[in-house]
This record gives sequence, C-alpha cells and structure tokens, in this order.
Amino acid sequence: MSESSELVKLPTSVALHARPAGSFVRTAASFTATIEVQANGRQANGKSILEILGLGADGGAELKISASGDDAAAAVAELAQLVTHFS
Amino acid sequence: MASTNGNGFVGLVLVSHSASIAGGLAELVAQVAGPDVAIVTAGGGPDDTLGTDGGRVLEALRTADSDAGTVVLVDLGSSLLSVRAAVAELSDDEAARIVLADAPLVEGAIAAGVIASTGATLNDVARAAEEARSVRKL
Repeated sequence: MSESSELVKLPTSVALHARPAGSFVRTAASFTATIEVQANGRQANGKSILEILGLGADGGAELKISASGDDAAAAVAELAQLVTHFS
Repeated sequence: MASTNGNGFVGLVLVSHSASIAGGLAELVAQVAGPDVAIVTAGGGPDDTLGTDGGRVLEALRTADSDAGTVVLVDLGSSLLSVRAAVAELSDDEAARIVLADAPLVEGAIAAGVIASTGATLNDVARAAEEARSVRKL
C-alpha cells in the first residue's frame, strides 16, 4: 500500500469537461488504487465521471491528484501526464 | 443463441419520449465515452410524435444486441412500458443480455457510457448508471 499525490495544471484552453473528463476516468479506472481529485475546493472520486464533471475545472485550473494503493505512484504519474497534455 | 454482433464492449440503448432528447444525449455520451461503445436511440412515438413506441424500442434493442450485453436507460413513465413490451418480444437468450437501469437518463447514460468504454461487464455498467442516482449536483 502506498500513497502518492501531485499538483498539476490543466492547459489554459482545456476544461475538464466531456472528452477530457472521459479520458481521465478511463485512465483512472485502469489502476487498482483509489484516486481522488481536488479542484475549486471540491473533491471527486477519480473513477466517477459524474464527480469529475462536477468539479467544474476550467482551463488553467490547478488539480491535486491523489492516489492510495499498490499502483498509486504509477497512477498519479500517468494521470498527471495526461492532464498536462490535454489538447 | 449467442449474438454475432459486437466488439466486446457493453452497448447502450437510450429511450426517450423525444427523438431530439435521445439523439442529443447519444452525441454527448459518445463524446465522453469515445468510439468503442455502441449507442442506439429509440426516441419518439409512432409517426415521429412525442411518446414512446415498443416497435422502435425493439428495433433498437436488436440493433444494439451483442454478447457483452446492453444497458437500457429510459426517461419517463411509459418509456418503461415500451421497453417491457419490447423485451417480451425477444428470445430468452437475447433478453438475458439486457439490463434495464433504474437511473436518471442523462447522468446514468454518461456514467454507463464511460464505464462501458473501460471494457467493464454488463452488471458493472448497469451499476455505474444506477450510482448516478446518488451523485448530487450542488
């Protein structure tokens, strides 16, 4: 069991809506770790599309991605990479 | 009999009294869920009126049918009756591959579509749709 977290910024032109949010959740779901995302003072389960959409994270918003579980470090690294490369 | 359709992903059938609602929602879900999840709509009644039509639902269920299974989401009251009438026309094997989700249409379809796109099982996709009932908007 391990824990990991990272602060990342969405590209200024990409909000965490529809397509990017789906892509985030699909990636999160491929890990066994529990994943949480904080933004705008809200918190969401990284594997729940409705909660991720509910964050209302606009382009340029800062996200804190946290994971807990055996593959936590890999999950945070891959999700952070995904978020910063959204286009 | 096993179905010959499908790509291994659970599909969705969206049933609404309005063809525009069903069609617009299908577009939205496709954008969030990506290209792998089959989304079939049954919107509107006979002669393109507002309403639901068992025949149209039956056609949608047959179009969507695949070995991975299909989750059906409905909007209001009589949509459910149309789905039940349509399912009664299917063979037992076909009907066994269908789960009717007790979920809000828009949120349920989005949640189910994304989880289906991960390759999840029929029951997991239906559960994702039903979990949408407890997600608060505010």
